[in-house]
Amino acid sequence: MVFELKKGAFVVDELKNVSIRIGDVVEEEEEWAIMGPTPMPNIADLRDWDFFLLKRYKPFYAPYCDMCCLCTMGKCDLTENKRGACGIDLATQTGRIVTIACTVGVSAHCGHARHMMHDIEHIFGDPSEIPVDFGPEIDVVAPLTELITGMRPKTVAEFKKVLDYCEEQIVQVVDSIHTGQEGSYLDYESKAFHLGMIDSLSKEVADIIQMCAFGFPKGEDNQPFIDIGMGVLDHNKAIVLVIGHHAPPATNIADYIEENGLEDEVDLAGICCTANDMTRYYQKAKIAAALSRQLKVVRAGLADVIVIDEQCIRADILYHAGKLGIPVICTNEKAMHGLRDMTKENPKDIIKYVLNGAPGVVVLDPLKVGEVAVTIARERRKKRGDKIEPKLSEDEFLNYAKECTQCGNCTYACPQGIRIGDGMEAAEEGDRGKLEKYWDICIACGRCEQVCPKNIPIIDMLNFAAWNLIINEKGKIRRGRGPVRDTEIREVGAPIVLGTIPGIIAPIGCGNYPNGTEEVYTIVREFASRNYIVTLTGCMAFDAALYKNEEGIGVFEEFHDRFDAGGVINIGSCVSNAHIHGAAIKVARIFAMRNIRANYEEIADYILNRVGACGVAWGAMSQKAASIATGFNRLGVPAVVGPHGSKYRRAFLGQPYKDEDWMMYDIRKGEEVRVEPAPQDLLVAAETLEEAIPLMAKLCFRPADTDRGRSIKLTHYIDLSLKYLGRLPDDWYLFVRTESDLPLAKKEELLKILEDEYGWKIDWKRKKILEGPFRGYDAAFNPTNVKRIFEKGPLPLGGE
Amino acid sequence: MPASKPFDTANIPGPKMAMIAKTKAVAAMIKRAKRPLLIVGPDLTDEMFERALKFAEKGVQVVATGSAIKRFVEAGVADGVKYAVLHELTNFLLDPDWPGFDGKGNYDLVLFMGTIYYHGSQMMAAIKNFAPHMRAIAIDRYYHPNALQSFPDLWKKEEEYIKLLDEVLDAL
Repeated sequence: MVFELKKGAFVVDELKNVSIRIGDVVEEEEEWAIMGPTPMPNIADLRDWDFFLLKRYKPFYAPYCDMCCLCTMGKCDLTENKRGACGIDLATQTGRIVTIACTVGVSAHCGHARHMMHDIEHIFGDPSEIPVDFGPEIDVVAPLTELITGMRPKTVAEFKKVLDYCEEQIVQVVDSIHTGQEGSYLDYESKAFHLGMIDSLSKEVADIIQMCAFGFPKGEDNQPFIDIGMGVLDHNKAIVLVIGHHAPPATNIADYIEENGLEDEVDLAGICCTANDMTRYYQKAKIAAALSRQLKVVRAGLADVIVIDEQCIRADILYHAGKLGIPVICTNEKAMHGLRDMTKENPKDIIKYVLNGAPGVVVLDPLKVGEVAVTIARERRKKRGDKIEPKLSEDEFLNYAKECTQCGNCTYACPQGIRIGDGMEAAEEGDRGKLEKYWDICIACGRCEQVCPKNIPIIDMLNFAAWNLIINEKGKIRRGRGPVRDTEIREVGAPIVLGTIPGIIAPIGCGNYPNGTEEVYTIVREFASRNYIVTLTGCMAFDAALYKNEEGIGVFEEFHDRFDAGGVINIGSCVSNAHIHGAAIKVARIFAMRNIRANYEEIADYILNRVGACGVAWGAMSQKAASIATGFNRLGVPAVVGPHGSKYRRAFLGQPYKDEDWMMYDIRKGEEVRVEPAPQDLLVAAETLEEAIPLMAKLCFRPADTDRGRSIKLTHYIDLSLKYLGRLPDDWYLFVRTESDLPLAKKEELLKILEDEYGWKIDWKRKKILEGPFRGYDAAFNPTNVKRIFEKGPLPLGGE
Repeated sequence: MPASKPFDTANIPGPKMAMIAKTKAVAAMIKRAKRPLLIVGPDLTDEMFERALKFAEKGVQVVATGSAIKRFVEAGVADGVKYAVLHELTNFLLDPDWPGFDGKGNYDLVLFMGTIYYHGSQMMAAIKNFAPHMRAIAIDRYYHPNALQSFPDLWKKEEEYIKLLDEVLDAL
């Protein structure tokens, strides 16, 4: 109920035994745009959009397990799409498992965001005093928040409402996972889409509030370089190694180092997203490695103390660190590893407890972590030598190699199927080369050691063989810059939509690569050198920085970091990839003047039809990667994953030969049109790098490309197919609408192929296509997949 | 219990796992099939590549996936060999109405060889569970539990494995 007071006096007098409660004090919001149709949508509110996507990009299910083991009526055998005791069939069960994965992923990001809010209040006080302001070049500060909730928060505290909304949506979807609820795989996928969208929103909140509170960069380009690699740690100093995704404890470590003038005595380094975010706060911090090197770094004994927070931390970190006597400080209630909680105790007592031999300790107050971690690291530094050496001696290495029985258990256990036995055999004969090569392909999961009948410490063997690589691994990465500026979008919006910038390639996510880290570098360099915009976040950003070109410089040094053609941009940590969604939304808002306020369906439709962006998660591993990709997909951005990605069980794949799946509305002509399959897939796994690169180029085609843009995109698709696969792609002709779509240099050759192999009619005098394509090119083509927009047009902007 | 050891030890999908493929039976299935298709992936030795070419000579449609196509191109034997992204191809295979590479319809028997093990395994899981109109046979050097029938685990016994491929080819 609303009790509204008008102008005049409101007198409360002579009231006894009356309590007056005032809830939120709501300031009247300026009407900056007309509110769209779906502010804070619930599960069913965007279902029509989801079902459109699911009709065109049908869920492709590859079950990892043919059974369901979730209730006591089971186990149920669902093989061949049978139904289990509760009535669920295998397709729906697989959709349910995908939804569970997305639930876990979004919970990690949303939990992180909420935890960040708590830490900000603890460290800085009232978050309503912290403004959300990214400077004069960014007006659309929180595009996902505007798009999904219809809100424009002006202070950090106002994001609490956004988190309340996210948390409610997550709980509602988790409810649907219970035995005996949803019975349609399509509806599970719609729920997964919903969680993916909430995931993107949660990430935006997490990153914006940490940027505002901790003073991270706010979208400026020309960011400074940060040292990265296992070889950049300075062993003359005490080394504090942070691992995880929640940076406040690491910022306290940085503060402690600076406030006590310890920069020359203490090196602060990190693994995974905490490392990325920490460098946005403290430029002297270093990035030791991405996720897939975690066990290699820990087992190499590079740290004096390890500080963990949340997500992507090995569950056996305490075991491995303990074997080397490295204490572990747990700073987050989500990962406490059975250690004693000393949060409320005096830091001096905590330090004493650890230095007296405890394997680690829980310290949940970020304001105490700096003193504890740095002091412990400095004390431990005093007791070790200056030189860092492999954990195995030469003799131990050779003896272990000799002990290998060639049983092959390690290879059966290895996710990559690495022939570790061959490396051992070569090492026994004095050749370490094979093991050295395997070192990078190995994702250091440690499963091989679990099954070795001789208890050979295989990770140590690999580290020994690759020691020269380790100590010389020194790269440069740009500091994470955060959002794309509105002013940049004004410059590139047109070339992106018209297609003359051939696409935005977004390498994101984890390090479960099929064939080592160098492939990441290859992807980034290939696309940047072709004038795509390459925006990186998370572990792929790290791994791209480890390699150098012929002139000895890495991709972050070779290319600028503006959001423009040929840019290679470290956006930031995993939560920062919300800014990549944000850039696509801003194209609709700033270039096309679309109203983005609570208008998800229209904007996702716009992006799917016009913004040639493609994510790549070449080593996608986690549930977070599942929810991230699903969030990109609902917004109309396709993604390519590596071959391990098919273990996510579900892809979204199109069938280009089905006319009914590729019908669109042309608003201008008022008719339905059969369009080319652009983009053909929303989520697809590639088998090898050579396949992935042309596939990414293909997924940048959009129905709204101009002929010039299509010609540029087709040039790259064909060039990359020839370069990496040795031949023309079989489906290039599907993307040709008119002769001016063809690459200029190959026009005649391709026209001849169209005539000879595909039966198209060509007027050779004028070099024109007369018959063949799905449709001709129409410069005024105004496409939409949404009937409401077709009939009534886009939502007016209003306001402002 | 699986009939052989999966290359990824923990790849135990459920109660239905591939029977061990006998070479004569595989040859008979290929001969009986109206439209057989051999999917050749990039995890391919020279010996396997030679046998893939022989399957093509015997009239089996070959499709190379991943970077395997480059092998055929570089050897100058790519005529008639199709290329596809395995994930996309498997999606087409699940659709009984897919017109196939030649417009004559979907395939009724698919043979897998040389796919990246775990990825290929997932594709066979899709066919096993959602494509009643076709059968998938793994003629790889690894045991693939998600196939209907699979050669046993032979990655450490290359000669034995190639012998099996030759037996199939001889019987065609």
